[in-house]
Amino acid sequence: MDYQIEEEAGFVVEDVSKIIKESVEATIGGNAYQHNRVNQWTTSIVEQCLSQLSKLGKPYKYILTCVIMQKNGAGMQTASTCFWDNSTDGSCAVRWENKSVYCIVSVFGLAI
Amino acid sequence: MSAKLCDICDVCTFSVNLCIENVVGGGDYSQSQVNKWTANIVERCLTQLVKQGKPYKYIVTCAVMQKTGAGLHTANSCYWDTAMDGSCTVRWENRTMYCVVSVFAVATA
Repeated sequence: MDYQIEEEAGFVVEDVSKIIKESVEATIGGNAYQHNRVNQWTTSIVEQCLSQLSKLGKPYKYILTCVIMQKNGAGMQTASTCFWDNSTDGSCAVRWENKSVYCIVSVFGLAI
Repeated sequence: MSAKLCDICDVCTFSVNLCIENVVGGGDYSQSQVNKWTANIVERCLTQLVKQGKPYKYIVTCAVMQKTGAGLHTANSCYWDTAMDGSCTVRWENRTMYCVVSVFAVATA
């Protein structure tokens, strides 16, 4: 039987998760929630992640969402649902927090 | 944005608002119900979209947040075909909560 070792062309959750975590750490890090900076943070996080993802060179379209919420006891719930090709498409969500901020980043990858 | 996608956007905004109203309506934020609400909202929205029968893959996300004065900020970024693909975001609120639903449509044909 012949085996062929193929490069992982699918949506690899660990790689994407690592990209997200590094981007959030680098952007927010230990900073406290600041109303006048949070706009910059969300933009910077999604742009950094997107540029790292496109560098992976896979034949995918990507959708990224980033939610930043101040910690003050409010409750929040998020949900997502997808109508796609289960064998090729995938998603990854990362929940990050520090003392005053919650940050949730979701990446959806759709094969071309 | 192509003509096809514009149709989706209009139908989208209307259906999403209707879905949220039907699921949450005038109710107050409830920790025990919110899980059900978000799941229902995304499922109903997706069902309405798929019924349109257009050649698209869809992603629907929903965030429900209790109104307590906390700051909330969201951002989306997409790497796709800008001629064929598109998105639509609906912000809804009542006395005790905010609801933000985003729909992303990616062409398959």
